[in-house]
Amino acid sequence: MSAIQTRGLTKRYSGGLFGSDVTAVSDLDLAVERGEVYGFLGPNGAGKSTTIDMLLSYSFPTDGTVEIFGQNIRTNPEVIEQRVGVLPEGYGLYDRLSGRRNLEFAVEWQDANDDPAHLLTRVGLDADDADRPVADYSKGMTQRLALAMALVDDPDLLVLDEPSSGLDPNGVQRLRDIIRNEASDGTTVFFSSHVLSQVEAVCDRVGILDDGELVAVDTVAGLRETAGASSTLTLTMENPPSPETVKGDGVSSVSVRGNQLRVTCTDSRAKARVVARLVDHGHSPVDVGSEEASLAEIFRDYVHDGRTHDDGKPASGREPQQQEVVV
Amino acid sequence: MTLTQVAQKDFEDAVRSKMVWGTIGVFVAFMGFVILVASSTTDGADASGGAALGLTAQLSQLFVPLVALIVGYMAIVGERRSGSLRVLLTYPHSRRDIVFGKLLGRSGVIAITVGVGSTLSLLVATLLVAAPDVGNTAGLVGSIILFGVAFTGVAVGISASVRSRGQAMALAIGSLLVCLLVWDAATAGVYAAITGSLPGLEVEAWYLLLKRLSPVGAFRVIANGFVSGQLGPLFQAGLEQIPQDATSVQRQLSNRVSGPLPFYLTSWFAGVTLIAWAVVPTAFGYLQFKRADI
Repeated sequence: MSAIQTRGLTKRYSGGLFGSDVTAVSDLDLAVERGEVYGFLGPNGAGKSTTIDMLLSYSFPTDGTVEIFGQNIRTNPEVIEQRVGVLPEGYGLYDRLSGRRNLEFAVEWQDANDDPAHLLTRVGLDADDADRPVADYSKGMTQRLALAMALVDDPDLLVLDEPSSGLDPNGVQRLRDIIRNEASDGTTVFFSSHVLSQVEAVCDRVGILDDGELVAVDTVAGLRETAGASSTLTLTMENPPSPETVKGDGVSSVSVRGNQLRVTCTDSRAKARVVARLVDHGHSPVDVGSEEASLAEIFRDYVHDGRTHDDGKPASGREPQQQEVVV
Repeated sequence: MTLTQVAQKDFEDAVRSKMVWGTIGVFVAFMGFVILVASSTTDGADASGGAALGLTAQLSQLFVPLVALIVGYMAIVGERRSGSLRVLLTYPHSRRDIVFGKLLGRSGVIAITVGVGSTLSLLVATLLVAAPDVGNTAGLVGSIILFGVAFTGVAVGISASVRSRGQAMALAIGSLLVCLLVWDAATAGVYAAITGSLPGLEVEAWYLLLKRLSPVGAFRVIANGFVSGQLGPLFQAGLEQIPQDATSVQRQLSNRVSGPLPFYLTSWFAGVTLIAWAVVPTAFGYLQFKRADI
């Protein structure tokens, strides 16, 4: 049984009398397994929030069904309230009430026995700040409070829509820790983002949505491989050896430029083997640098220049050797 | 019971809003001012507490709906725009709980606002003029509260059925104008269309029923029981052809219709009408809201 399973999920907005209809999400089959951290990626306007709204019954699909933990949300809407913790997009809190009071309401409503103070500590909101009215909060503080509210009653599924927006690097790190922590407790985490480094750091699987359609679903490594992305190791040597020395599994090309050896690897684990092999041969590198093909590039491949073919592979099949990596 | 939880939170939040306290302030200040002016123009010895009650009831026809619509028209659409509805819906609150919980919460706010407001106004009258009868005062304050709750139902119904603040405001103003100005005129028009003449001293019972089906008309019926029949429509436009010299006995309800007084012209029926106004528009609003994308 999947945590989330949609079948043929479609949302069309009527264009009115003179406009043309807009299809925001089209025939989406999404499957999120229990216990995984699923990153839902896509550029602005791809239909991520429309999809999440339908998963949470904020809006109703034109067509198709949504099941959460095997329950159709149309016929069993209580599954959302009972098992899902939500950080929605465009949420609002009660401005005139303090952060703590907002959280207390959440605990009370959920009929949970969470300690608000503990939740506040988890998301990193000071006790002093918690006593101030939410109207005085910065975007980041509001986001932390909303995250605390999503964590009330230890949900089995966390749905986070753009959770990192407004957070400072510290907050982003904490968010990451919370997601990992929840996932290690068996919680399924489904979150949307256009911040790729977020997704890369915590997700087991990534789904890329573009123009209302799911164009790719894979692990981060899998996406990299499919897109032909690779990582490059730059070794500064006093006396560069012949390229043949480092050739081996997972190494796709080696080039020498001055005293630098550039090794392109299709598998990031190959990098350690390359260094070990060099040391074995008595060539200790002076410096080692590594550049990873970021998900950003893969993302670009899928979404922008690469209008996908029917086989789901990006149209612009770039050769690994040509990969110029900018980080 | 999540409906009462929604109501409680809404009440707590609304009570903190400056708007509610400002409204009470304006309400009291204005009513007090009018009573003050009215009492100074009449002879001090004649100015009775009963007149203060009558004046309060008269002004309530305008102010109570106004206050109720102001406090209620953003109840749901405001949360829809700000996004707090999205947070509310992730907890075990159904959309039905939210709409009817809001009705309950805002009704509480209105009950306090107009209850405190009219009591304070009457206190001003007591200090300046004379103390009105305690029983009638309590009865009038009670009927004002019921009247306020009826318009809260209208406001919450509007709020649940629209997507934007502008639409809500337009409908709120429209409903106020319809109830205060259009309803009585339209009823008289219907009467004229059917019977061929404007309503006179003796009329068909259904005409009086139509007039009382508006929340303002129903309020007038109930409040008149406490202000000895001094309460008339706020805007008299010569809709009824009643001779100037008609005695108060002739104007009595039982003498205006033939035969025994039908049940739908009793005070308690007007009370039921006000309760229906509190519930029915909200129920219609809920039917819209249930299917809406938020």
